[in-house]
Amino acid sequence: MLARFFRYSLTSVLIFSGGASQSGAQSLPVAPGYGELNYTLPEAGSYQLPPLGTAADGEVLDTSGHTQRLHQQFGSQYVLLAFIYSTCSDVNGCPLTAHVFYKIKSEMKRDKILARRLKLISLSFDPLVDTPEMLQLYGNNFRYAGNAGEWQFLTTSSEKTLDPILRAYNQQVQRELKDDGSNSAGYSHVLRIFLIDPDKRIRNIYSADFLHHDLLLADVRTLLKQEDQTDTWNRSGSQPLQVSRLSNPGDDKRGYEQTSYRTRSLALELRQGKEADLIRFGTEPPLGLPAIPTPLDNPLSREKIALGRKLFYDRRLSLNDTFSCAMCHIPDQGFTSNELATAVGIEGRSVRRNTPTIYNSAYATLLFHDGREDSLEQQAWGPLLASNEMGNPSIGYVLNKIRQIQEYQGLFEAAFDGKDASMMTLGMALASYQRTLVSGSSAFDRWYYGNDPNALSPGAQRGFRVFAGKGGCVACHTIEKRYALFTDNRLHNTGMGYRSSMGIHPEKEKIIIAPGVFIEVDRAVIDQVGEKPPADVGRYEVTQSPHDRWKYKTPSLRNIVLTAPYMHDGSLGSLKEVIDFYDAGGVPNDLLDPRIRPLNLSEQEKVDLVLFMGSLTGSNVDTLVADAFAAPVGDIGKGDPTWVSGTDVEVK
Amino acid sequence: MALSRSGRCLILSSWLCLGSHSIWAVEAMSGNFALTDQDGQRFQLDQLKGKVVLLFFGYTFCPDICPTELTNLSRVLDTLDGESVQGVFVTVDPDRDTPEVLKDYTDYFNRRLIGLTGSPAQIDRVTQKYRVKFRKLPVPGGSYSMNHPSNLYLIDRTGKLSTIVPYGLPPEHVVDVVRHLLAENL
Ligand code: HEC
Ligand code: HEC
Repeated sequence: MLARFFRYSLTSVLIFSGGASQSGAQSLPVAPGYGELNYTLPEAGSYQLPPLGTAADGEVLDTSGHTQRLHQQFGSQYVLLAFIYSTCSDVNGCPLTAHVFYKIKSEMKRDKILARRLKLISLSFDPLVDTPEMLQLYGNNFRYAGNAGEWQFLTTSSEKTLDPILRAYNQQVQRELKDDGSNSAGYSHVLRIFLIDPDKRIRNIYSADFLHHDLLLADVRTLLKQEDQTDTWNRSGSQPLQVSRLSNPGDDKRGYEQTSYRTRSLALELRQGKEADLIRFGTEPPLGLPAIPTPLDNPLSREKIALGRKLFYDRRLSLNDTFSCAMCHIPDQGFTSNELATAVGIEGRSVRRNTPTIYNSAYATLLFHDGREDSLEQQAWGPLLASNEMGNPSIGYVLNKIRQIQEYQGLFEAAFDGKDASMMTLGMALASYQRTLVSGSSAFDRWYYGNDPNALSPGAQRGFRVFAGKGGCVACHTIEKRYALFTDNRLHNTGMGYRSSMGIHPEKEKIIIAPGVFIEVDRAVIDQVGEKPPADVGRYEVTQSPHDRWKYKTPSLRNIVLTAPYMHDGSLGSLKEVIDFYDAGGVPNDLLDPRIRPLNLSEQEKVDLVLFMGSLTGSNVDTLVADAFAAPVGDIGKGDPTWVSGTDVEVK
Repeated sequence: MALSRSGRCLILSSWLCLGSHSIWAVEAMSGNFALTDQDGQRFQLDQLKGKVVLLFFGYTFCPDICPTELTNLSRVLDTLDGESVQGVFVTVDPDRDTPEVLKDYTDYFNRRLIGLTGSPAQIDRVTQKYRVKFRKLPVPGGSYSMNHPSNLYLIDRTGKLSTIVPYGLPPEHVVDVVRHLLAENL
């Protein structure tokens, strides 16, 4: 698969534009789509096509001139969507599309499943010339061809309805001016064809130099083969679009290993907040989770949760008023940081471990990777005081500051029976908010505990059997009769920590330098310039017992697809890598947990395991994330104790 | 399809637009027109009523694509030999494509092909009718090539434009559609 894209990256995208007269010069080669492929395609189904984004909707006209929604035309089929214009004279442009679509249509005549599941759509970007009547004349080519293999021609009523569609598909079309500057002598555009799945997600984008019917057919067949897997699987294992729409790294790098990658950075203003009744999650935990253990002296209350929520998003809780808890435990990134292996704190200071998720930390009896804390009430002071996290010099400093901030006046008193902000109440408030971030009722829960046989895809069901059987994962990531925490709340040596302590690394490392472009870098080169991994011996640092070397806490696997990268040092980027790690038997060392051993999993079993883990995403994730978006971000302002008056210029 | 030599006349996707869009939007496509054939005779499209017409545009100096297209069309015409079918080639380069030049050309490719030319104004009217945009591109040495799309227009026996076959579809497809058109409107 990668090899495939690598090949394309070598040939540049052909840009079909006018401009300099080329008629005398040597002509462009004819696109490969007209001939036979000169390389062997990987077998359909042997590779992945992770979603590249959502295929936009828009208003279009069919050949009868009726207004339709583009999505409506997609129906529930796989769609190959091409942007064309009928008066195109560039052989490697629209005629190439026609040629390739014709080949595919011919295949659809032979293959009944393909005919039923796939649809070809040519959408014109020249509404002035390509009227519905005009496109009907094109459609007539297939009037006699029977129903097998639908090829539909669409246009729009005007440039006004067309332009948003072009923008959404990133189709840049330049209307060329005539020499005298008057409008529309023609168009220049970059040929792009989109493969869209029934969930309206773009799965591949083809440009002229790799538009070939064999490739397109292999891709469609790959998606058909992997149908029950596609919902949850993707290469980086970070995102089941089905379950959580809102969980996403800020700069979504999925598909970056392909040349077709395009930036999908999310604009801040797209974050729509919606407050949730959080206490409900605390008092009525979702399916598959037990009642929340709360300390006797800190029962949940709306006031405490609201106060804790306010504190969690307040940047003034750090020494220089810049860093909140939520900046490492990022709500829309699974309450962790998808983009960092190990955390980065105040002023860019390195933290040696990966940020764990806060989801379901209500149930944790051991906190931190080495289990050095046992209550959320206590735990908060760790990051508040760590010089490389929030950097506060003392507990008193934090409390004094909060007491002086106007917005907090009366809040602690109201939540804690008249008690002021103190080491205890601040911890209690933060703990209360975090306790409500429980997330269950996942597809797995509905299947296993809710007895809904259809809740879990067949692939995920197979994965469950590997998880509970051959893989032996349940030994540590536990599943009980009535609930499943997917952690035994204990510490184990998997060899993960041993590996980095001993500097065990592959000789060469594959590094992506641009979308779809990799280089292999020698270990020696990396060691020369790279930061040495921080010393970390795990549980030993807490107990000083030699047997506890490289033991780390078993993390819960709930919402696991949302919380990449994995392990205490974030060194595994995808669930696939985690499975490969376990399959190889971890990293052997004297203290390796005996349950970690080579598993001899088949490729299918590995995929199924990932599918199973993809089914553990809670149904309330988006509710919790939207609630986080609605939370006030505490920012320094006038009147705050650390406000610098110099920024206020008085004008007389 | 023999496309190893690419169409120099078609590399560019831009051309001079000969009619304004608003005119196109009102005027119906297709319909009768009059030009001059390769024998210097006046020719009217209506003369061909009762036959299925395969109409396409090009110019004889066209180095690559037009010959490819013509070869394909020849194959189609040969396959349909003996049936009520007529191939018609309209030049977009009337300055150079005189009736004599066209005669050589059609004789060479397929004697059953009618080649048409006319005054620049006449040609403009016909290309506008069929929404054919083309433009002159100078080439070094003082000559020029014509940039134009290579669609094939199928006109049914009643003289109505029935189907536009985009360039890129194989001759078998054209034969298939023409056979169906022949079966209609008997
Ligand atoms: C600089 C990034 C950063 C900030 C800021 C931060 N955390 Fe963390 N958090 C981490 C890291 C890294 C760990 C794991 C540390 C370890 O195991 O040594 C962690 C661990 C935790 C845990 C334990 C989770 C578990 O399952 O073991 C909780 C709870 C937590 N943080 C809550 C908070 C709260 C509350 C705040 C704000 C007061 C906060 N964090 C601020 C990075 C951060
Ligand atoms: C011996 C106990 C044990 C067994 C058996 C085990 N795990 Fe783990 N698992 C752990 C521990 C401990 C960690 C944390 C390691 C670290 O942080 O370095 C972990 C981490 C993980 C993680 C990463 C979680 C995160 O948030 O970073 C995944 C995913 C995972 N295990 C899946 C599995 C699967 C799948 C299996 C079965 C093939 C399995 N585990 C078997 C103990 C176990």
